[in-house]
Amino acid sequence: MSGALEIDLPLLTTFVVYLALMVLVGLLAYRLTRSLADYILGGRRLGPGTAALSAGASDMSGWLLMGLPGAVYGAGMNQIWIAVGLAIGAYLNWQLIAARLRRYTEVAKDSITIPAYFENRFRDGSSTLRVVSAVVILLFFTFYTSAGLVAAGTLFEDTFGVDYTLALAVGAAVILTYTLLGGFLAVSWTDFLQGILMFIALIVVPVLTVLELGGWPATAGTVGDLEPGALDAFNDVTLFGIVSLMAWGLGYFGQPHVLARFMAIRSLQDIPAARLIGIGWMAFALLGSIFTGFAGIAFFEGTGTLDNAETVFIALIQAMFSPWVAGCLLAAVLAAIMSTIDSQLLVSSSALSEDFYKRFLRPAAGDRELVWVGRATVLAIGALATVLALDPESAVLDLVAYAWAGFGAAFGPVVILSVFWRGMTRNGAVAGIVVGAVTVLVWEQLGGGIFEMYEILPGFILATLAILVFSRIGGRPGEEIEQEFDKVAGSLR
Amino acid sequence: MADNLTTATWFWLLVPMLLVVVLALISWLRHRLREGER
Repeated sequence: MSGALEIDLPLLTTFVVYLALMVLVGLLAYRLTRSLADYILGGRRLGPGTAALSAGASDMSGWLLMGLPGAVYGAGMNQIWIAVGLAIGAYLNWQLIAARLRRYTEVAKDSITIPAYFENRFRDGSSTLRVVSAVVILLFFTFYTSAGLVAAGTLFEDTFGVDYTLALAVGAAVILTYTLLGGFLAVSWTDFLQGILMFIALIVVPVLTVLELGGWPATAGTVGDLEPGALDAFNDVTLFGIVSLMAWGLGYFGQPHVLARFMAIRSLQDIPAARLIGIGWMAFALLGSIFTGFAGIAFFEGTGTLDNAETVFIALIQAMFSPWVAGCLLAAVLAAIMSTIDSQLLVSSSALSEDFYKRFLRPAAGDRELVWVGRATVLAIGALATVLALDPESAVLDLVAYAWAGFGAAFGPVVILSVFWRGMTRNGAVAGIVVGAVTVLVWEQLGGGIFEMYEILPGFILATLAILVFSRIGGRPGEEIEQEFDKVAGSLR
Repeated sequence: MADNLTTATWFWLLVPMLLVVVLALISWLRHRLREGER
């Protein structure tokens, strides 16, 4: 049903206008970026709408418009469990972590990266925490960025018949241009626009598809006739499987590109509005994504009739809309992929510029120098990620499979306990990161029985235990740390 | 033939998703009220 489609004038025009708009936003942000804190954290001046939508858009990759609808299209409603877990995890992250982390990162020597926060929060004179966490970020996000570029290139090659290398080169050039010029503000503003575009597409496409099919009863009835099991979320799944899928939600507490949005929000007073916008966006976008896949079953008369289930969203747009409207809606797929790549690229760059260059090489460097180092590191990591992406079959890209679980288990418990537990120590934090990361890596290699469980859950539990045990062993964290904790806790009341 | 999602599916699809939105809405409204009192 879906095959390579020659790129036509309306599609090409809307994509070019869209990409040009992103570069324009980069140029505007360039004028407001004067220090490294501006470049990698936007000078902590994001309003609630921008913080919320950029957190959502940078978190949700092409999975939201391709992976999730494709899974529901291919197997029915038993695929909803990751989405349910993610919605709950994102809510808890906004509710429990956002305000505390925003405040703590400011009080703890104005930390502008997660590795810097770990070092300053625990007064780690050895810099072990900063180096370990910066290396983990650098490693995983470079490959993650690369995998995003591969996904974009493959999508354009398969769906629109564009040459893979050309699509990769154009996509990487646009993302690099606005990220390099405007840094965090450019990334957040483009993510905001991309978040709006994704949201509109995810509401319009399923609603119009269901109307086209004659309304909800007709759509559900058709699916019931074609694939009765698709109507049941508990069809062909076990409780073990459901828990394992919902555990994806635990990953939020440790994702540096999402936590950066909390750290960058303008004021604590903006957090309730940001939380409402962010969670509203996410819940309805996830529901839209699920119902897109579901309606696709009825529209295309059964699962398996599309060559590639993950193109169900794209195929519905191509089948139902005029070319100009289709071009605008299809730009949402591009938006989903780009908004994740740019944020991960910038966080990787901050690990080099703030956590290595400024911390170890040139502590006294001026703002102008640091901003240009930030830009140079964006260019270097972006170029490396693009070169890695030239070979879509590269084995290093398999590392991405670990990334969500790895960050969630290695950083998640450390972030949570660091803002809630006065007695947590540096040794506890190091133990938590190491145990979380190692558990994820080892668990993934084992198979059968309990090892079929998504590795984030055991990683998260063992890392939490490690923090509790190692913080207890070494005695109290120190008076200065405890006083700072009390200061933060007091200011949040 | 079944002609709608099962009740349990509707429940697990809508309740957690809408609950988190309602909880976020309530805490935003409480924040607005507190701001108004100041």
